[in-house]
Amino acid sequence: MIDVSNLSVNFGPAQAVRDASLTIAPGARIGIVGESGSGKSMLGLALMGMSPDAAQVTGSLTVDGTQMAGASERDWRRLRARRIAMIFQEPMAALNPLRRVGDTVAEPLRVHEGLGREAALDRALALFKEVGLPDPAARLRQFPHEISGGQRQRVLIALALACNPGLLIADEPTTALDANVALRITELLTDLSVKRQMALMFISHDLTAVARATTEIMVMYGGTVVERGPTAEVLNAPRHPYTKGLLAARPRPEGLRQSGTRRRLPTIPGTVPPLDKLPPGCRFAGRCPVELPQCATERPPVVANAACHLLAQGGAA
Amino acid sequence: MGLFLLRRTVGFILTLLVVSVVVFATMNILPGDPALTILGLDASEDALAALRDQLGLNEPVISRYFSWVWNALQGDFGISHSFKVPVAGLISERLPMTISLALAGMTMTLLIALPAGILAASKHRKAADWGVMFLSQLGIAVPAFWLSMLLVLLFAVKLRWLPPGHFPGWDDPVAAIRALILPTVALGLVQSAVLARVTRSSALEVMRLDFVRTARASGLSRGRVLWQHVLPNALVPIVTIVGMQFAAVVTGTIVIENVFSLPGLGRLVFQSIANRDLPTVQALVMMFAAIVVTANFIVDLLYVAIDPRLKART
Amino acid sequence: MRRLPANLIIGGVLVALVVGVAALSLVWTPHPENLMNIRGKFAAPSATHWLGTDQLGRDLTTQLMMAARNSMAVALIAVLLGGSIGTILGLVASAVGGWVEDLVMRFADISFAFPTLLFAIMLAAVFGPSLQNAILAIAFINIPVFARVARASANQIWTREYVFAARAAGMGKFAISRDHILPNIAAPVIVQATIEFAVAILAEAALSYLGLGVQPPESSWGRMLSEAQTLMYLAPQLAIWPGLCIVTAVLGFGLLGDGLRDITDPRLARER
Repeated sequence: MIDVSNLSVNFGPAQAVRDASLTIAPGARIGIVGESGSGKSMLGLALMGMSPDAAQVTGSLTVDGTQMAGASERDWRRLRARRIAMIFQEPMAALNPLRRVGDTVAEPLRVHEGLGREAALDRALALFKEVGLPDPAARLRQFPHEISGGQRQRVLIALALACNPGLLIADEPTTALDANVALRITELLTDLSVKRQMALMFISHDLTAVARATTEIMVMYGGTVVERGPTAEVLNAPRHPYTKGLLAARPRPEGLRQSGTRRRLPTIPGTVPPLDKLPPGCRFAGRCPVELPQCATERPPVVANAACHLLAQGGAA
Repeated sequence: MGLFLLRRTVGFILTLLVVSVVVFATMNILPGDPALTILGLDASEDALAALRDQLGLNEPVISRYFSWVWNALQGDFGISHSFKVPVAGLISERLPMTISLALAGMTMTLLIALPAGILAASKHRKAADWGVMFLSQLGIAVPAFWLSMLLVLLFAVKLRWLPPGHFPGWDDPVAAIRALILPTVALGLVQSAVLARVTRSSALEVMRLDFVRTARASGLSRGRVLWQHVLPNALVPIVTIVGMQFAAVVTGTIVIENVFSLPGLGRLVFQSIANRDLPTVQALVMMFAAIVVTANFIVDLLYVAIDPRLKART
Repeated sequence: MRRLPANLIIGGVLVALVVGVAALSLVWTPHPENLMNIRGKFAAPSATHWLGTDQLGRDLTTQLMMAARNSMAVALIAVLLGGSIGTILGLVASAVGGWVEDLVMRFADISFAFPTLLFAIMLAAVFGPSLQNAILAIAFINIPVFARVARASANQIWTREYVFAARAAGMGKFAISRDHILPNIAAPVIVQATIEFAVAILAEAALSYLGLGVQPPESSWGRMLSEAQTLMYLAPQLAIWPGLCIVTAVLGFGLLGDGLRDITDPRLARER
């Protein structure tokens, strides 16, 4: 339903997203992983037509066959909530504190589907049941500060589902939550995607959550897609040096030694440079353990779903 | 919630009491003989003695204060020295004029300032924003009475569309409203300058919050997001300023009534000062101060109505 | 060197203009002060009378210059008086704390029930209208404003390490307030003083307009406007110049205050 090709998001000379391409089929579940600043959230916002005012967006972006590159705010508004919906990281801040959560969920129904208040609240009640909020009828009349973080995230999911979107973009939906709450939210998103045949774009740096929720995965670094493929394949047998580093840096239970002391995690050396200081070639150049002379200046070719000079030469990172 | 209301109400009553003490003390304890002030230096000793007796000046200050407060609570502010009628009657005759002018001025302020502030915030760093900021900077520096004069010069003297002043009475509603247009605009324009700035900066702060993004992601129009999500959340600082501005508008009516010769409390104050009518001035000052204190009390209550989170906290 | 903010530059220029004219009037005016010439009343602007003459044939430029001087003097005395009392109260409140602090802050809260005009009305009713009463009223209203600013800033300084060091060295609260706190709260107090200067100019103009401020034969922009109002059909130009002077002065001090705040406390420099 969505086709993106060579999408770039620029802030002047700084490129937040460089030539990203992806296709989202109905019902697909795609994970986007990367550190903060990798451009994954910018990509999500671009799909909503909600890039910051200062950003210049180039490339092609079609939704249901309609070209949306350069579309007006008005055209985007028709797609939001009804075709593409999005939930955000901070469930506390993402809800209007002065509104009862029932009214918040009812609002897009009233605006987009012309429902009256009662009818919209009935639908909100059904949505609250669907997302598994306990005691949904009482929740309708509560304010955000009166419910827990996990419940707020469920309210936001209900809000996103209100107008039956074809794609739900979840931007770090579990980051601000406790581990077990995060797990349940991840499961809920996966279930909803399967039951509703709704595509899911799961943006997270939490590889465990992404592994559970998605079937395909895209790894981003410095605004570029460095590796993509079926989730299990990429996570079990990463090919790009960055993906390997990212996976190695993941804490695992087996990392605990018998003595109880923690094994030192291997980390990727250095930090992500600011957007305007990224090397023009492979964005990972400078931090890559297996860097070749041309990496910093020439853009790497994509071979078998990984963008890497070394892999292109047949080497193994 | 109940506790909050109780605390605020007690605070409100205490403030009113302290204010009444300050007014009474200023008018009665400061050096000088009120009877002499009222009658002038060439008054006869007999007349002075009679007036002191009538004003109760021979009684101790404390008991005079309490009887003043006690009588005032029952609507008795004493007898006006210059008009020879009860002060309460003088006030109730003129109060409607002042109240309607103040309310009209406040409404005008809100009607100008809220849209201007929201417009500036939504066009942040664009021409409309600079325009609103420039005009409001100017508006803060313009005295209300001078703006009134400029309005009179333009609309009454030059264009002759509206009367330059005086109030024809409500018998002819059209003429009455026409007479109130310029005073209302003068009050509202000046006050809206400050409020527009506060609205703008408050709205800008709210617009950075995440729920605004959620609202946009729900496909709501910019206007709906601004008016139904941003504005309510920006209201707390706005309401604070509105409370203070109501005070400014009420005292502003004192000036404006004098510019346009409108028969309200503001005119009465100056007639009373000129006539050295101390009981009337004392009652009027207390009245204005009470309106100011009450406006701030109402603002405190409004916070709770606006923000459900405060209910939980208090 | 950071670029100076525009409001500081514009404000500074306007303030220099107004203060310069006021200072100049002490030594030179185009015509002798208050020189009347009934035959030459309502004269149009000319080489001798740059802005024309008023209803008594007085030179308008001269009157405006005298008014500038009076206005500056009133604002200066009132802000100095109210500002120093308020700052001292704030310092004491912060140093002593406890019930003294509560009392001072309560007083500050309550005095907001008395706008300048109300206070001036009370004083005028008891003592008769006079310039001193107007200054007292404006000064009074400045006390709580400065008490709040001084206390809030001082409370921050009291938590600094060098203050702890001074206390550990056995310095008394009074000495610390004088030697450490006061110099460090000078910036916010001066910023506030500049802004209150603008407010005082507006207040003086309004009080003088209402007859509660500057009394004849002294000149004041507010008084000139109240006289001009009765002559609006005859000589509308007289209602323009004094108002422009007020706006220039108030705008100047207001912008200067904002600009000073922007450079002295970047945290307070709100989105503008």
